[in-house]
Amino acid sequence: MKKVDKHVADRYFRIRTILTVIYLAIGFSVSFLVVFFAKELSHITINGFPFHYFMGAQGAVLTFIILLFINAIVSDKIDEKFGISHERNEQISSGKTLDH
Amino acid sequence: MDYQFFVSLLLIMASFGLYIGIALYNKARATSDFYVANRSVPPVFNGMAIGADWMSAASFIGMAGTVMIMGYDGLAYIMGWTGGYLLLTFLLAPQLRKFGRYTVPEFIGDRYQSNAARLIAAVATIIISFTYAIGQLSGSGVVIGRLLEVDAAIGTLIGVVLIAFYSALGGMKGITWTQVAQYLVLIIAYLIPVIFIALQLTGNPVPWVSYGEIVGELKALDAELAISEYVVPFTENTKWQFMALMFTLMAGTAGLPHVIVRFYTVSTMKAARWSGAWALLFIGLLYLSAPAYAAFSRFILMTEVAGSSINNLPAWTTAWVDTGQLSVADQNGDGILQWGELVISNDIVVMATPEIANLGIFVIGLMAAGAMAAALSTAGGLMISISAALSHDIYYRSINPNASDKKRLLVGRWSIIIATVVAGLVALNPPGAITQIVAWAFALASGSFFPALILGVWWKRSNGPGVIAGMLVGLSVTLGYIFAAKYGGFTILGIIDTGAGVFGAAAAIIANIVVSLLTKEPPQKIKEEVTDLRYPEQMTYKNGEVWIEEAD
Repeated sequence: MKKVDKHVADRYFRIRTILTVIYLAIGFSVSFLVVFFAKELSHITINGFPFHYFMGAQGAVLTFIILLFINAIVSDKIDEKFGISHERNEQISSGKTLDH
Repeated sequence: MDYQFFVSLLLIMASFGLYIGIALYNKARATSDFYVANRSVPPVFNGMAIGADWMSAASFIGMAGTVMIMGYDGLAYIMGWTGGYLLLTFLLAPQLRKFGRYTVPEFIGDRYQSNAARLIAAVATIIISFTYAIGQLSGSGVVIGRLLEVDAAIGTLIGVVLIAFYSALGGMKGITWTQVAQYLVLIIAYLIPVIFIALQLTGNPVPWVSYGEIVGELKALDAELAISEYVVPFTENTKWQFMALMFTLMAGTAGLPHVIVRFYTVSTMKAARWSGAWALLFIGLLYLSAPAYAAFSRFILMTEVAGSSINNLPAWTTAWVDTGQLSVADQNGDGILQWGELVISNDIVVMATPEIANLGIFVIGLMAAGAMAAALSTAGGLMISISAALSHDIYYRSINPNASDKKRLLVGRWSIIIATVVAGLVALNPPGAITQIVAWAFALASGSFFPALILGVWWKRSNGPGVIAGMLVGLSVTLGYIFAAKYGGFTILGIIDTGAGVFGAAAAIIANIVVSLLTKEPPQKIKEEVTDLRYPEQMTYKNGEVWIEEAD
């Protein structure tokens, strides 16, 4: 076991937290914000749909899916940058888990 | 009809045989198999299992109909039930996985160091899962009953025997792999009819792209009839109810124990993130298709059924009128069926589509197998949650902590069998209250589990008295608002009973924070364990410092 510099550890947590906040803000905007302005946005048409209906039926769900995949890919990249290996994580995880 | 009967029977029997075969192959041999599938499920397959676990008989059969009948306002369900996976995957699932327990109540009990909190959570798990399971079992009874033309009670019993057998045998390990198979069956069954009907109506086999033009035409048809337009927002309830319902469904999704426990079955935090992404993709396939079903069905009903002579309705309508799902009455006696004279049940939209599109008996049989898969997979996941709460959280952690692994497996198996049989017996003649409670399950989960888990993971100062106060206050406020809105006529901003979770969650968070701050802070060890959840497995937070295990 090696000690990690405090600022390195903090940086890991900060970058992960900032990204999560950004993802949630985007998710919030495509759902709650669009619903809030549904009437105002209904004059825009997209692929035959009024904009508010499109976002509710397709746009928001597609955004959610894309956000989750971006999160999975980017988190892996960040882990790699901080010297975290997935194989090692697996070994540790299976040993440390409380399987009682 | 006879021919149809045999094809449906054959397809359903073949799918049942597949599930039993999978369960026999994946027999649980240890408690870690039984509760968390030995934590070795690959993320893609876990994604499919989450999808099947999540999508219930009501999603499969009823959601498209809800969207059709409610118009834009029904889309709160589409966004709420998918958006919950953002909260779950960003804020809870990887962290709960790193904490590494068997059940959600166990996390709450160990994180907050409180047996009382664990028992409250276990009881809440059992109540929510049990009522939800009754809905599944009676739903499967209706499907089997209608398609095999037997009594719905016999249909329910067939479902009960099947679930009890394969979940008791395989535990979480068996259920995981049957859910993967059930996901594939249900999604194929759901997509085939909508693809063909898109092709027939628009000439484009990709329904998600082509139903936009149908929505546009519906708008014009509504304008002609001078009825409120399909796409106009907030016709059923207020804007605030829409948003409160959407929040309640999201937070409830992120707090339902039978969904969270599926994230315990993967190996690492990384695998939990990927599971969430795959799960929402697989769920999205169905949820993106439901509004397409709704638009196509409404279009057909408006153009081919409404406006025709009452004596000359399309042939497929007869069977549905007979079952009471569709009601046509020429009220003004002009010989023509008007749109306003049609009364349509939610369930007809998806189940009638194969007949409307003339897809033949094979697809109708497949549809039945798909609806059964949706009901069975959700019921299986719920049963393992109930069994884990009974046999692990209550029996092992509170009554007999010295039980051997073999004994615990036995208790787990028997509690599944008993829970399934009891749920099945209640489902034979479900009290009216059950459907109500199922509709409120999300409000209850967002008023109890969601705040307890979020604060447990993200606020280390939160403690045992805080979480107990939070859960009790959250449940009371949720139930209080539900009854006040439903029976007392009391509402805030037009928010009705189904949106009560927003008040429950707020009250629970406030109560948890206030009581935590007024009582002793949690011991250093617990606070460090909570901070530790910020980092991947290889990093450990100890004595105020982060340590990394070197790669070998």
